[in-house]
Amino acid sequence: MVSKAIYAAWFGIHFFLLTAVCLAGIFSLIAESSTILPSACEKSAREAELVASWLLAKQAGASNPIRQGIATYLHAAGMQAGYSFFAPNVPSQYRLTLELFYDDGRVEYESLHVRSRAAALRLDSLLDRLAEERYEPVREVLVKSLAFSVWREHPDVKKIHATFGSVNPPEMSEFEHGKAETFQPMFGFDFSLRDEEKQ
Amino acid sequence: MTPLRSWWTRVLKFLFPPETDTWLAVLRAGMGLQVAVYALFLRSDWHYLFASSGKGLIGREIGDAIASFESPLIPTLSWLVALGRSINMSEEAVLSISWACLLSSGCFLLLGLFSRPAAIIAWFLHLCVAESGGLLAYGADNFMTTALFYLMLSPLPDRYSFDRWVVQTKQKNPQLLGFWRRVLQVHLCFVYFIGGLAKCLGSGWWNGSNLWHSLIRPPFNLVSPDILVRFKYALPVLGISICLIEVSYPICIWLKKTRLVWLICILAMHAAIGLMMGLYLFALVMIVMNLAAFGISYTNGGAGDFNEQ
Repeated sequence: MVSKAIYAAWFGIHFFLLTAVCLAGIFSLIAESSTILPSACEKSAREAELVASWLLAKQAGASNPIRQGIATYLHAAGMQAGYSFFAPNVPSQYRLTLELFYDDGRVEYESLHVRSRAAALRLDSLLDRLAEERYEPVREVLVKSLAFSVWREHPDVKKIHATFGSVNPPEMSEFEHGKAETFQPMFGFDFSLRDEEKQ
Repeated sequence: MTPLRSWWTRVLKFLFPPETDTWLAVLRAGMGLQVAVYALFLRSDWHYLFASSGKGLIGREIGDAIASFESPLIPTLSWLVALGRSINMSEEAVLSISWACLLSSGCFLLLGLFSRPAAIIAWFLHLCVAESGGLLAYGADNFMTTALFYLMLSPLPDRYSFDRWVVQTKQKNPQLLGFWRRVLQVHLCFVYFIGGLAKCLGSGWWNGSNLWHSLIRPPFNLVSPDILVRFKYALPVLGISICLIEVSYPICIWLKKTRLVWLICILAMHAAIGLMMGLYLFALVMIVMNLAAFGISYTNGGAGDFNEQ
């Protein structure tokens, strides 16, 4: 009976945490005006998101042991993120194009590539994250690393200009009328062999 | 009997239904296959994706730093690399050994050999890889971690494993087997309800445009848009169906009359996602989890009794 009570308590805590994670995700979508709900709901959703985050101890300091304990448990159980895949709407597709400038004045265009399809899916996830605001602090470092991975294959390149942007696909009716996707640049970086400067 | 005691008895009856270990065999073999396929799919890019800065795609350190910011207790590949360094092992060697161990643990799980240690090693190594490559991770990684987490805690080995043939261990507690199956079942109900609810809140799932965008978005664009256009009237129906099937999963999967239909619909949806979008790992892990949770017929006292209460 005692062991059953322990299992039941674990069950309760486990799914309480999962509920908080899932609700935080849903409320976040509503607060960001990503849903069909009226904008009047946004303020309440933001407050509800804060409550859900508080339950996960995310408001506590980074070194708080309760926050670290909960975060470790959630990651260990694979439930640190919610389950709103491709929801409420399918996210934009992003593309990183690299212009390679050679010493002799040649310019080549290169895109990132991996060998397997499984890795290509992961590269796509990375580009999705580059567009997210919360990754802004590491954006330049990430793009620099990606540019450097291409640089290793083209050691005689003098400078690389990286352009990141969203690809806007046509709607079905537009596609039927022959409209193609459009590219909307979001930001760019220049990297040279010795230094790099943000544009 | 007081109301509180009566409620507690009902809770325990729900949480500890007696079960056989057939569902656990499905989860164990399915996750073994999943881990093996995961390792084989990433074989050619393993070092490129998880090497440190200057050697790979973005460098493992950024993922490690993000995980460590969440909590320094979250395991990453850097732990293994540091351990390797202490015995003069290079980073390349540690990465290669990690890959080989992950593949081996998947094969061991598939066969049911050293089931518990294999489940723990698979969970730990996959977690390290998923955290170090956190920026490169997607939904399949979270579900793999969850499924391996539950598998590692479940009462292994099951009767279909080699372990049971080699060492004559006694039958596991049926109520404990039922408890871990309940955990998996309830978890899936959360997954689909939240996923369905989030989809219902997007306008694009009601008019079919989200399905269109999902299927033409590289690298998921395995089906030509010209073919999709021919089914333009089916897309809104499919989009609405996905929303309704997912959001009603926590109810319909428990009811005896609707269980089989819902299970088939969900399995078909994941099979279609795998085949039409190339998300093979995601499809496989979801199919394995659903089959283990609801696919195997219930024994006396299992979830089959729930809808009669």
